[in-house]
Amino acid sequence: MAMTARQRAKVSLYVQAGIFVVVLAAVILAVDWKTVGNSVFNFAKIGPMFPDIFLVGLKNTLIYTALAFVVGLSGGLLLALMKLSSFPLYRWLATGYIEFFRGVPALLVFIAFGYGVPLAFGVQWDVNIVVMVSLGMVASAYIAETLRAGLQAVPKGQMEAARSLGMPHWRAMVSIVIPQAFKIVLPPLTNEIILLTKDSSLIYVLGLTASQYELTKFGRDGISSLGAGLTPLLVAGAFYLVITIPLSLLARKFESRSARTKR
Amino acid sequence: MNDVVNSTVRAAGVDIKDLRKSYGSNEVLKGISLTVEPGQVVCLIGPSGSGKSTLLRCVNLLEQPNAGTINVGKFEATDPDVDLNKMRQSVGMVFQHFNLFPHLSVLDNCTISQMKVLKRSKSEAANVARHNLERVGLGHLADRFPDQLSGGQQQRVAIARALSMDPQLMLFDEPTSALDPETVGDVLAVMRKLAQEGMTMLVVTHEMGFAREVADRVVFMDAGVVVEEGPAEHVISAPTQPRTKEFLRRVLDPTHIGVEEA
Repeated sequence: MAMTARQRAKVSLYVQAGIFVVVLAAVILAVDWKTVGNSVFNFAKIGPMFPDIFLVGLKNTLIYTALAFVVGLSGGLLLALMKLSSFPLYRWLATGYIEFFRGVPALLVFIAFGYGVPLAFGVQWDVNIVVMVSLGMVASAYIAETLRAGLQAVPKGQMEAARSLGMPHWRAMVSIVIPQAFKIVLPPLTNEIILLTKDSSLIYVLGLTASQYELTKFGRDGISSLGAGLTPLLVAGAFYLVITIPLSLLARKFESRSARTKR
Repeated sequence: MNDVVNSTVRAAGVDIKDLRKSYGSNEVLKGISLTVEPGQVVCLIGPSGSGKSTLLRCVNLLEQPNAGTINVGKFEATDPDVDLNKMRQSVGMVFQHFNLFPHLSVLDNCTISQMKVLKRSKSEAANVARHNLERVGLGHLADRFPDQLSGGQQQRVAIARALSMDPQLMLFDEPTSALDPETVGDVLAVMRKLAQEGMTMLVVTHEMGFAREVADRVVFMDAGVVVEEGPAEHVISAPTQPRTKEFLRRVLDPTHIGVEEA
């Protein structure tokens, strides 16, 4: 009756695998496959989505993400440096900004900059600018915290060594501390890009012209026009994975590389 | 060893007067006065927490003293208007944990501040760096990265990095304390050579053998004050103050067997 530790571990693994199979089987049996086939996996009718979802949607999602990331990275770096500044006003400003834009839903920021600001100032903004500003400002709040952690993770001795060689503070930051911090934050930064990729879908709250559609908008339009149920959303989702999975792989590669150089 | 004969160091002296440093209510330096003549080697010894590292770090203002004056060569370090970056160019510092730049190759570690601070051209900086890497016996490792080197090699690179700025004074903060025993000798040999070349050196160390052999003067510190100072043979071999005797007995005979039985 008594089992050895190794036997117990083996039995435990079998039990876990068994539970998994049972749950999977239950889900498969519970699903109404006929309806699902018509309204989720109805790939016969999605032809009209192509090639525009690829040529326009994927392209725009990439552009919006890249624009927001450029703003988010530069803004985030500025905020991170402000937060580490010895000048209290800078620290308060950065903290206030970060707390605000991390705490407010990105959707509201989109509406504010897409409708509110143009109304208030009587300007007409290009959709690219709205994305850059609203998504970029939200992203910079998140990225600032990531970068601050990275900057603080660089040992204090690095700054001391640089300063003792006669480098001014800014030069030590630029040549010594920031390059090392970026190596540290590459994995979490990749994470930020993945989040941004998905958040770029929030642009749908603005009225877009056809050439400005991104992936999610293509999916939503497909739902109403193609009569294939939710299938177009599934297609749009797949395209997101086309962007995000390679990014994850890239992040993992960076991670293993920096782990190797650390030793 | 033509290098040794040829390289003439423009050495600077250090003059410290009544230096005080506190962290909160904890006074670490209680009025230290200390003079290092150009070309002299002074070793600071004493128990941990005695303030010797803090004193060293005050000399190039890595720590801001609360009172007192420090003069380094022609610079008054404690003058609020002093150009610190300019002053630090002439003061080399070697840290206990090396603090090499891990993202740069050995050569780039030695060239970056030459190029960015002294505005030397890339090729000139590389020449100076290679010369100094040869001086510490590591010319063949110029293309490696710091994490590919042993501790002793890293510390010698750190010395070469500091030398590449043509300093007139070198500060050493326990340069061998983080090293494997077998690599300590290489680093001490480089420092000995540097001393022979006429470099002004202020060295915080626990290496009594090195202090006795190389130092012109040894300063024993305890609890933020200079307890005893003088020629190495006096302070280390024939200390007069009880506190110095006690410290040296513990350092030179760590097991205390002789002490307990005496």
